[in-house]
This record gives sequence, structure tokens and C-alpha cells, in this order.
Amino acid sequence: MAIFGRLLDRRTKDHIQKSVTQALGTKRSGRSGILDTLLRYIIIALLFISLIILAVLIIDIAIDGFDVLSSRLGSFLSGTLRSRSVDEGIGIQQGLVGSFWIAVFVAVFAFPIGIAAAIYLEEYAPKNRLTKFIELNIRNLAGVPSVVYGLLGLFIFVKGFDVFLLRNFKSLVGGSSLAAAGLTLSILVLPIVIITAQEALKTIPSIIKEGAYGVGATKWQVIRGQVLPYAAPGILTGTLLSMSRAIGEAAPLILLGAVTGRLGLKAGLFDFYQLQERFTAMPIIITNWTQKQGRDIGFGENAAAAIVVLLFFVLLINATAILLRNYFEKKRA
Amino acid sequence: MTVAKKCRRKIFLVSIVIALVSAVAAAGCNHSGRTVNISGSSTVEPISVRVAELVEDSGSNIIVNIDGPGTGDGFKLFCEGETDISDASREIKASEVAKCRENGIDFIELQVAIDGIAVITSAKNDAVDCLSLIELYSLIGPEATGTKKWADANNLIREQGGGGNLPSADLDIFGPGEESGTFDSFVELAIEEIAEHRNQDITTRPDYNTNADDNVIIRGVQNSDTSLGWIGYAFAKEAGGIKLLSVASENSECVEPTATNIADGTYPIARPLLIYVNKAAALENEALRAYVDFYLQDEGLSIAVGDVGYVELDNIAKTKTRQAWRDGLK
Repeated sequence: MAIFGRLLDRRTKDHIQKSVTQALGTKRSGRSGILDTLLRYIIIALLFISLIILAVLIIDIAIDGFDVLSSRLGSFLSGTLRSRSVDEGIGIQQGLVGSFWIAVFVAVFAFPIGIAAAIYLEEYAPKNRLTKFIELNIRNLAGVPSVVYGLLGLFIFVKGFDVFLLRNFKSLVGGSSLAAAGLTLSILVLPIVIITAQEALKTIPSIIKEGAYGVGATKWQVIRGQVLPYAAPGILTGTLLSMSRAIGEAAPLILLGAVTGRLGLKAGLFDFYQLQERFTAMPIIITNWTQKQGRDIGFGENAAAAIVVLLFFVLLINATAILLRNYFEKKRA
Repeated sequence: MTVAKKCRRKIFLVSIVIALVSAVAAAGCNHSGRTVNISGSSTVEPISVRVAELVEDSGSNIIVNIDGPGTGDGFKLFCEGETDISDASREIKASEVAKCRENGIDFIELQVAIDGIAVITSAKNDAVDCLSLIELYSLIGPEATGTKKWADANNLIREQGGGGNLPSADLDIFGPGEESGTFDSFVELAIEEIAEHRNQDITTRPDYNTNADDNVIIRGVQNSDTSLGWIGYAFAKEAGGIKLLSVASENSECVEPTATNIADGTYPIARPLLIYVNKAAALENEALRAYVDFYLQDEGLSIAVGDVGYVELDNIAKTKTRQAWRDGLK
């Protein structure tokens, strides 16, 4: 017990002791045993229900989109927005490029800023009322509806607030452009990145940090050498999941003026100049085509095919997150 | 990890950031000389997109961006000078004209097509040839919910001062669902005025057979002798086995849905589809002029309009539109 006394603070120690005594004290009676089993089965049943709903949705969409994906996958991936669903050239290339750049913006702006903010809040910030207030606000921001972020982006990037410095954003991003969309969605996921990174940092046992301090490491050395590698799997999972969220958002993009009918520009994946031009993205195309099937039924199956492609990329990102987490966890062990 | 490896990774990260920032900062690459920005009605959007596609096929390198948030939203952007053309499924309102004036935006109004809706029944139905708007409202409007026979609507029709002598036959209604543009058009043109007057929700009854596919609606109407339905006129006139009903607006005669009657505005459930062009932009922007020129040729007013399923203007109206464009540019 002596060694724990030094490494854990008093509150944690009391807490552990109390829960252990409690657990040992309660006798497992017959009735609570039945309840236990019952509850377990209910929870498993609920899990299956949600999995079945998900499977039905995915299978339904996959069936609807199968014709398009199997007969003309290549032209569908390289095609553009068209007026009629029967056109040969209809496809999602412009949406894929738009969503790709949104993901790049999130990776370049939201990840570093968010992780840095989390490190500051966990490791450097004094534990006072101001810090608590800031953390509370970040948590609230994570729950704000995405349309509201769309409004924020609209005023800052598209309309251009006529206030010192903020005014320059408009000319920088070029109005309702891909850059405006990328930056707005970076702001949208920033609170989520901060919170998940903070949670990952919180899981680090204080033994590790105290050990590093014990051998004379500086604060930055502790963070760089011990804290970050240990928290990396958690941070990565959280940030990559927030990226999937960003590329799935439609509402803020509608406010930012994402193009629905026709996008004149057919830019390649790495054409930087398109960042200042009008844009579209996968969720926008899906929303729009779904609405258009009222007038032209063929848009429905194209929308379904687009959903399958978007799902594929989102799952790809999530799978990457899991693989990276496993890789880092193995490395740590 | 070696120092060199670490360095390489750092250089890679830094270069990505620099590339992004410089790309965003590069003010160049402005396509405004050959870009046309269009917003407005989602009903007109397909026509404008089709025209842009035909322009592209003709080998022109004009860049056209088109968006369809709705007529009202389109005019908001248009009167702030954000767009070059505003698509509209109604004429511009006085308040919107005032807003445009305030911002010094002068425009040219051009009618490009007509959105007409045909009320249809089975070709075997001899009992009904013509319905008034009051009868349509009483059969399909929100207050008709639960009505199973044509005659059940008679009380509601008499209450509104109509004749009320519909036959006692089963009423099988087929129409597009709420997500459809044709549904919106029908509600706006046939239901809205009476529903508003009677303080009802501006929609149809919920209990009828909906389908997004016009072919399914037509099949439904064909298969029941006492059916009633509505679809876009351009589609209905091509279909067999159905009868297009005449429609009478308040205090007027029954009007047959023919291309002429729709084009001259006597058929009540049709509306003009228009585009509004920013005059100053048109004088300045060669691409915009070329695009509208193409729009008003037969490739636009006939081919593009037909391709996406709307009613084309008659020759007199086409000439009038072309004249308005020429006069506007003077």
C-alpha cells in the first residue's frame, strides 16, 4: 500500500478502496442473479436490433444502387452532375473531389489545433474556474447543431464580416468556395477533436508521468516522450472519427452555397485553384439526387449508388483509425 | 527513429501546410470572365442545366454553375448581385423588385417554358369531362381526407357555391408524392388559394396512392375506370389509355389542356417558367450573353425544355422572349 500512497492522489485511493469493499460486501443472492442474466440478454437483444436496422438500411441501399455500380462504376466515379439521370456522363467525381478536400482541410487545420488545445487544457492550464468554463463551453459547442456552424461559416467566409481582420477571410477563400467549406467543417469538428483528445490524455496513468519526472525529464519531454505516444491510439481514433463526421455533413454546406444543379468546373483531385471556386460534395449530391427522383425516377438509383460510395469511404477512414490504433497499441506494449 | 527520418516527416507536414495556405492565398485564377452563376427555382434548374450541357457539347468553354434553392432564395441572391441569372417559377414580386432597385440591379425578364399539370382519369371514364378548381379541391384537398366516392365530395362543393353533382363511383386517386416537384406545383396552382381561404393546411389529402414514377401513376389511372390523378402535362400528352380532363377556374368555362391553352395562360393549372438576367452583368460578361443567346435559340427553348419534360412556348411567345432579350440589351 505504501507505494500506491505516493502515486495515487488521496481521492482516487479512497474511491478504489470503497468500491472494492462494496463489491466484496454484497452477497450475490438468487434473485439478483436472475436479474443479472435477464439484463444481459436484454442488452444483447437491443444490440442485435440496432445491428439489424443498420443491415437492412445498408442492404436496401446496396440493392437500389447495384445496377449503377455494377454496370458503369468507372463512368459513375468520373462523371459529373447532369440534368437527366439517363445521361451517360452522370456521376460523382466533383463530389468526391469536394469531400476529399474537406477531409484534407480537417486534417490540416482541425487536428493540430484541436490536439494542441487538448494538451494545453490537460497538461498546462491551471485548474481554475476559467479553465472549467472553457471546457464546459467546448462541450456545449460539440452539441451545437451543424446548421449553426453553417451560419458561422456563411458570415465569416462567404459574406465576409466587415470587421478588422475577419474582413480578409472573404477575399482569401473566395466567397462560397471549397476553402470556405473546408474551414467551416474544420471549425465544426474542432470541439469533438479537443474532447476526444482530452479523454485520451486523461487515460494515461499518473505512474508513467511521475516516473518520467522522477528521472528528471522536463514537462515538454514528458509530454513528447511519454504522454503523446501513450495517448496516440485514443487521439487517432477520435480524430479520424471526427473526419468521417465532417465528410458526412450536408446541412452547413447547403448554407455555404454548395452547388446542386451543375458545377461548371471539372477539376482534378490535386488542382489547387479549385479551392477558391464553387464546390459540391458527396452529401450534397446525395440529398439533391434524392429530391430529384420525384421528377426523374432514375436519380434515385444514382443517389443510392452515391451513398454506397460515401459509406465505403467513411468505413475506409474508420478502418484506418482502428488499424492505426492497433498498431500504436502494439508498439506501446 | 533516426534524425533524418524525423526531419523528412517534419518537412512533409510543413510543406502540406504551406501548399494549402499558398493555394488559398493565391488570388489569381479568376474565371469571372467566362463564368456564369445561376440560382433560383428548383423547377427551372433542370432546364438551365440542360442548356448548359448543350452549350458545353457545342464546344464552348463557358463555365456555368447552377443551383436550385427555390425561387425566393434565388431572388434574394440575385438582388444582392451574387448571381447573374435567377431561375423563377413565378413572376418577380414587387417587394423583390424594390430590393433589386435599392441595390441598383437592373434585370431582363425572359419567359422560357411552361410548367403545366394535367388532371387525368381513365380513358373509359365517360362520367367526367371537366372539373372546376373547387371540385378538384374537394376531391384532393386536405378537407377531402377519407372521401371514398366521388359523390362524397358534393357537400363540400355545394358549401363553396359549386354544383355538386359528381357521380357516386369509387374514387381512386393516383399522384406524385410530397417529395415531387409536380406535387408542389399542383398544390400551389390548384389547392393553395382555396385552402388558404378556408384556413386549411396547404397540402393535399394524405390518403391517396403516391408514386415517384410517372409511369406507375399512369398505370394506376388506366387500371381503374373511375380513377383520378395528376402528372406533368408534357408526360400526360404522350401516354395512352388516359383522358386529360378540362379544368375550369372560378367563374369561367372549362378549358382543355392543349399546348395552345397552356401557352396563352387560359388553362388554370399551369405557370410560366422564367429566367431573370442581370442587365449590367450581361452587358459586361460575354459568357453570360453567349449562354442566354443559346438558351433562347431552338436548342434551348425547344430541345432543352422538351428534354427535361416541360411544355415549350408557342412561336408567338418565343418571339416575344427573344425580342425582350434584344430590347433589354440596348
